[in-house]
Amino acid sequence: MSHAEHNEIKIMAKAIVCEDCSLIGDITISPGCVIHPSATIIAEAGPIVLGENCIVEEYSTIAFRLPTDNKIDPAVEVRTLNIGANNVFEVGSRVEACHIGEKNVFESKCYVGPCVFVSSGCIIGAGVRLVSEQKLPENTVIYGRNCLQREAIDKHGSQTLQIDFLRKVLPNYHHLRKPNYDPKKMRIAT
Amino acid sequence: MEIVDTYYSKDEYVETASGNKVSRQTVLCGSQNIVLNGKVVVQTGAIIRGDLANVRTGRYCVISKNAVIRPPYKQFSKGIAFFPMHIGDHVFIGESAVVSASSIGSFVYIGKNAIIGRRCALKDCCIIEDGAVLPPETTVASYMRYTAKGTIEGGQGNPNFVPAAMQDQMVDYTKSFYEHFLRNPQAG
Repeated sequence: MSHAEHNEIKIMAKAIVCEDCSLIGDITISPGCVIHPSATIIAEAGPIVLGENCIVEEYSTIAFRLPTDNKIDPAVEVRTLNIGANNVFEVGSRVEACHIGEKNVFESKCYVGPCVFVSSGCIIGAGVRLVSEQKLPENTVIYGRNCLQREAIDKHGSQTLQIDFLRKVLPNYHHLRKPNYDPKKMRIAT
Repeated sequence: MEIVDTYYSKDEYVETASGNKVSRQTVLCGSQNIVLNGKVVVQTGAIIRGDLANVRTGRYCVISKNAVIRPPYKQFSKGIAFFPMHIGDHVFIGESAVVSASSIGSFVYIGKNAIIGRRCALKDCCIIEDGAVLPPETTVASYMRYTAKGTIEGGQGNPNFVPAAMQDQMVDYTKSFYEHFLRNPQAG
């Protein structure tokens, strides 16, 4: 927990963030997100901004790591990992992608390496490992043991119904982290 | 098949009146909706999501380290519903497995790192290999083996994929696992 002193967690109103998840670094959680217990978000190389209505399930890890070749010094150049809206990170997924668009689904135990550019509407299947440098076009579906890749014909359903359900149920069973950031009030204050 | 004694310290596990041994480092959400029917071992890091729907397990189940038991959901035209999950007797769930099945029969072996998709049905005496990925709504019939390659093996005339004495073996295995999972005598 060497980054503990830099921890700057901004949770906007209407986000459900369970208390026993670990958030490390400068993280902004937009309205409507649901962070399940035991989820991990690590903002090591720069701030992470999690878009609206994302679901982060148990044991999933979103990490924004320093590049291994250390070409970029975080003290000099500040980069932000903007994660789009409506993404789902299922149980045990590990996502270190350099860009994440919107409406993506990262299924259970998938691994997305740091050199992967994920656009929008992609589905990374359960157990799939993406390591090499690549850019996934929109609506890509990667599935199966051999990581077969194709383009989705029709769009997959949205997760809004699930978010509505979780938003109703989770506050009854969990201690939640309180929203501590209101963009409207901040504007007035400054 | 004899299992070596494994010891845990007194501070790490709680033993309930019905003989369940549950680690303190688990995440049991909505514990009023979780029924462990006695002599169940729940190891460190396991997550059981009772807050989403009811979870019932039978006797002599083993839920290994970092396994996630998560009731399945189904999407309807208006809203989604999480379904209760039933696990039979003498079921072994391996390390880091993710289980979203709607029903698991008795004497089932689930290997480590297996992923059981939403609303799967695992019938009695089936085997899920280590690292297997079951797509949502898969049914694995009894005495079938779901391989890591993604095929279902076994069945009539092809009987050797699951031992014929699967039921007895799972009874022995889970019972001896429970009986050899002991509190460390030195630590008091």
